[in-house]
Amino acid sequence: MTVVALHTQALVLPEAATYLDLLGRSLHAARLSNAFPERRPLQQSLETLAESLRLGLHGELFVDSRAGLPNLASFTRALTDKSVARESLARMGDRAALEARAGEAEVFARLAAKHGYYEKLQDRELAPVDHQRVLLRRHDPASGTAAFRIELTKLDASGVYLRLGIELTQVSSLWRRKVIDLAHDGETAAASEAFGAMVYRCADLDAEALFMRLHGVEGVSVEKVQRGVIGPVLFAMPVGSGVQVMRTAEAPDDALGREWHAWSVGAGAAEHERPELLAAFATDSAALDIREERSNDPLSPLLRDRLRDQEQARYRALRERYPFKVFKDRKFVATPGLKAVAHATCAAAGTKNMIYALG
Amino acid sequence: MSSKANLDVLSRQVAYSGEGISVKSLETDIQKERTIQDNKVDELKVLRERNVSIQNAMAEELKKLRKFSDYLDGTAVKGGFWAGFKEVLSFIPGLGSMSMSQRSIEELLKAQYQVSARRVKEAAEYVDTLKQSEQDLYKEIDRINVRIVEMAKNEREALHYVLELKQVQEQLEGEEQAVEAGSVEQRDIQANIDKVRAKLAEHSSNVLLYGSAEERYARLKENTRKLADTIRNLAQDIQQYTTASSIKLDMASAQIQAIGRAADASTVMLEMKRSLDVMTESMNVTTQFVSDTQIFFRSNLDELVKELDTFDEKTSSVLEENLRKSKEIEDARIQAAVDKAVKRAAAPAAPASSPSGT
Repeated sequence: MTVVALHTQALVLPEAATYLDLLGRSLHAARLSNAFPERRPLQQSLETLAESLRLGLHGELFVDSRAGLPNLASFTRALTDKSVARESLARMGDRAALEARAGEAEVFARLAAKHGYYEKLQDRELAPVDHQRVLLRRHDPASGTAAFRIELTKLDASGVYLRLGIELTQVSSLWRRKVIDLAHDGETAAASEAFGAMVYRCADLDAEALFMRLHGVEGVSVEKVQRGVIGPVLFAMPVGSGVQVMRTAEAPDDALGREWHAWSVGAGAAEHERPELLAAFATDSAALDIREERSNDPLSPLLRDRLRDQEQARYRALRERYPFKVFKDRKFVATPGLKAVAHATCAAAGTKNMIYALG
Repeated sequence: MSSKANLDVLSRQVAYSGEGISVKSLETDIQKERTIQDNKVDELKVLRERNVSIQNAMAEELKKLRKFSDYLDGTAVKGGFWAGFKEVLSFIPGLGSMSMSQRSIEELLKAQYQVSARRVKEAAEYVDTLKQSEQDLYKEIDRINVRIVEMAKNEREALHYVLELKQVQEQLEGEEQAVEAGSVEQRDIQANIDKVRAKLAEHSSNVLLYGSAEERYARLKENTRKLADTIRNLAQDIQQYTTASSIKLDMASAQIQAIGRAADASTVMLEMKRSLDVMTESMNVTTQFVSDTQIFFRSNLDELVKELDTFDEKTSSVLEENLRKSKEIEDARIQAAVDKAVKRAAAPAAPASSPSGT
């Protein structure tokens, strides 16, 4: 077992580099829409982590053992390195001078490498641990309405990396307790602290629950709630000569987790030479403009399909108060060995999902 | 008559290495080395100031975390738990005017986690700076060692030459006794004796200068080594503390998130305290390090600077002493020559030296 702290798994080179490479390529292969956290900063964070390991600046990579993604410590590490880069570069001096002294002592070779690392890092846009912003979509001073889009990117406590997008309209006659403040110039906006915190706290709710929660806020009319979730990621990395395999240590206890477990003790148990990775990318939307309510997510059926008969009537009554519909979907990126796990998961749920190959 | 003394000694070039030496050039060289030392001491002074600011920041963060911990422990004072918790939140920069219900604890803890990680990283970055300085000083020691050896060799050369000259001088003086006073032979011998004396003056000065330089470089090396040792010990301490803090933070990240989430759901408050304790421990370790290094600086750096000042005084006094001795020798020599000249002038001319005698 490789869990070193609560939900924390430690990977070292060369497995860590293989893992980061596969994960980075899986983001590219997944063709992520803007419903998901931005791919480029996330890839740059992964590249930064890989480089810091390769240069020996950090000894291990910490991964959330449930979600299979780099955890808060790893995300923070890249961000912290970037935050001290400028000041450290100023202290280090010229890189050529450090390289010239590389043979003199270990510290100069290390500093020369670190110099290059910090120089690159300065220009990189890294994935944030948390980032919330409010965009003004429309503003009609005559009618006193303003339409906003709230975007929250968050490394969730469950270990997955998600983006939450909320489109809503606020009516000015009720602005006594407005949730979004429009700047005097009428072009920029910011959520009130309380509203921002509520969105943050509710980010792990599904779109349906979040729609209902926000729609109940005074003066707010929600049009769309969309979540894009990266993870979980399941991996199996051969260690050393391939006798041992490092796997996602706490795979989720759902249909995918069960298929993964079956693979690990079955076909995957014999797989000691090739690294394998399977990444899931889910979207979950609740919006006024969705025509048909359905779930194409093999891991997350609609709420109505999960309720017992005696709860159905109450649920229907609740939903009639809100005009939105829900659509859920999930796609996978998998290496050849794990493609079967994705297929089996979808087949069991009767869903038809995109499964992109990762070579 | 030709002299039996080996007069080739007078025309021989003494093989001193380096660019020659004078009181001025020695002072310039030593000053260069001292400047390097001073720069390193200045770097350490900057580090001390930086440590103070890090310590203050750490103390503030520690205070916040301890407050969190205390209130979660049920030790909140008047106003009850939530009022206390609200007070705690007021310690977080920018949150002073906000109420408890307006903030996500998970978000706050993550922000605090990132601030703490940054503090540890800032401190850790100094390890490399110190190691770089240490290497610079070791390189300096190598250079000083070359100078010490060079000075020692030159002093030995000078001493050998002075002895040879002394021997030639004694031989010439013996020969002078054997020839007729005032004769051409005597004048020739005396001319050679003068040459020997001039050489003796020059090279006896070199004996003193090279000897003094050797000692002074040796003292400089001792101080440079002391400085390098100071820097190495400090770097090791910082590395030890920051590594420990960093491990604590790495291990606490999932707990921080889990507890933040749980706190947002108003649940599992005891777990929150436990997680914060882990984070507090990390801050404790780092604060301890900063505190220790401050004491270290106070007790060592000031002393070191004081010693360097003392060394300055010693260097000046040695130089003055050298100059004083050189002057004494020169004065004595000139006085002897003057005495001799006076004596010669006062004495009646001997027949052998009379022009009419030839």
